Amino acid sequence: MSFTRKMAWRNYLVEGFLILASLLIILPLLIMLFGSFMTSSEVLRFSLRLPQQWQFSNYTEVFREGGLGRAFLNGMLITSVSSILNIFTSSAASFILVRRETKMSGFLYMFFFMGLIAPMSTITTIRVVQWMGFYGSITSVILIYASLNTAFSVFLYSGFIRSIPKALDEVAFLEGANTFGVFFRIVTPLIVPVNATVAIMVFMSVWNDITIPLYFLTDSSDWTMPLSVYNFYGKYSRDWNLIFADLVLTSLPVLILYIFCQKYIVSGLTAGAVKG
Amino acid sequence: MNVSKKLYAYYLIWPALLIYSIFFVLPALAGLYYSFTDWRLDRDTIKFIGWDNFERIFTDRTLLLAIKNTAIFAVVTVIGKNLLGIALAVGLNMRLKTRNLLRAVFYSPSILSVLVISIVFTPMLRSDGTINRIFEAVGLSSLSQAWLTNPAIVIWTVAAVSIWQHTGFQMAIYLAGLQSISKEYYEAATIDGAGSWRSFRSITLPLLLPAININLMLTLIGGLKVFSEVFVLTGGGPGNASQVVGTIILRSFGEGSWGLGTAVNTLLFAAVTIIAIPLLIFMRRKEVSE
Repeated sequence: MSFTRKMAWRNYLVEGFLILASLLIILPLLIMLFGSFMTSSEVLRFSLRLPQQWQFSNYTEVFREGGLGRAFLNGMLITSVSSILNIFTSSAASFILVRRETKMSGFLYMFFFMGLIAPMSTITTIRVVQWMGFYGSITSVILIYASLNTAFSVFLYSGFIRSIPKALDEVAFLEGANTFGVFFRIVTPLIVPVNATVAIMVFMSVWNDITIPLYFLTDSSDWTMPLSVYNFYGKYSRDWNLIFADLVLTSLPVLILYIFCQKYIVSGLTAGAVKG
Repeated sequence: MNVSKKLYAYYLIWPALLIYSIFFVLPALAGLYYSFTDWRLDRDTIKFIGWDNFERIFTDRTLLLAIKNTAIFAVVTVIGKNLLGIALAVGLNMRLKTRNLLRAVFYSPSILSVLVISIVFTPMLRSDGTINRIFEAVGLSSLSQAWLTNPAIVIWTVAAVSIWQHTGFQMAIYLAGLQSISKEYYEAATIDGAGSWRSFRSITLPLLLPAININLMLTLIGGLKVFSEVFVLTGGGPGNASQVVGTIILRSFGEGSWGLGTAVNTLLFAAVTIIAIPLLIFMRRKEVSE
């Protein structure tokens, strides 16, 4: 009895402390959220208070001035195509890498794995893309994102596919299926949860990134939302209410994705990081 | 064995291998070569100049400072994100009423763009900003600082913002690791009379090792590659006080001194590889022994 009571006390203490600590996280985010509904003079105190009058017009103004509609569509196009491309190529490659237990497949696994470690060589990548003749295009950015995420995805898929019994494919082979058929009919349905994890991870990292668009999207009409926001931040440095509204808008897609797909993020982290 | 080789046709690897090789590996290899050239945007000819770029990096004060700052940022964020991450995970693995809510709150900043967080913190870190006003309100005005304009501390400030944003991600990986530890170990330890610190040291830490390894590697590599935080928060300033390798590469790109820029990148590549490979080998050995 006294033991459980001691435990309970300790839990309350920890809980109280963590709630206090969580305020450190919540307050800056609320300053941004509330600030996005203020007037441009009211927001300048940068302290936590509710807006005197909720200025919903900030959002419509930002959407018009910041050209966010176009940037939103660009971002959606780039993130969705590079995620889908990455899912197809990485899962297919991992399937073969895991199943063929040869020296070559071991070497190729390490070859992909190095991509998790090595930093991207930006300037020479530009050169390669220029040489191929599509520098500055959305296509180049999609391919670069797909390549940058290959290492991480192969890592996740390999860990998962290794846990699928080989006997399943062997039966299918005996029935006369070929590699392609086995991959699409047997393995693909089984790796749907990993597909979801990879899709979410790639989506979040690509959507939030500013580095690649900064180097590779030379035409501002191709920019994604965060880069447009950065540009807007430089131009409207006095109107913090509009800047905050801009920040909230660019965060909405990942927030919505997070709310609906939480369980895949957690299961992905478990499978990839801890077991893999 | 031979049969299985035939069955699993190689061609399914090709799409990933091609995209990865052309857009990641080929530029990396090309970078290795161009690091030893005087490649400039405004000149047609490219000459091989040996170690000149590297000599310049190690004698130029700004470039040296950038390397030093990158190292500080990496070390500070590795320590901060992992110590706080473990502490949060252990706390949020206990039976608390608000557990799920708190987990979501601590994780939430890491799903947002670095750009968003950096811009939100910019006005709060000014000398008349929210953070200093809070210090003054609680009678700690001696702690007030020009967080982003004092050259002596600016890189620490940037590191602190990064810790603020991403510790939740490390926490999530640690939580996943903690949940894979069987409760029976703790029950046995309690029966044997072990206190909570003893259980933590003898059960939690060793069994959390895979999660610790992956987190150390992720935070270290991420720290060495830092770019967006510095780019948005300070632009490398004041002066060059907060330049890091990532911002130096952007600057060389802008100035058209591409040979120098790729040399800086090659150094980063070498540093990351030298540090990460032993960690990797260690992890693989763990996997084999399991």
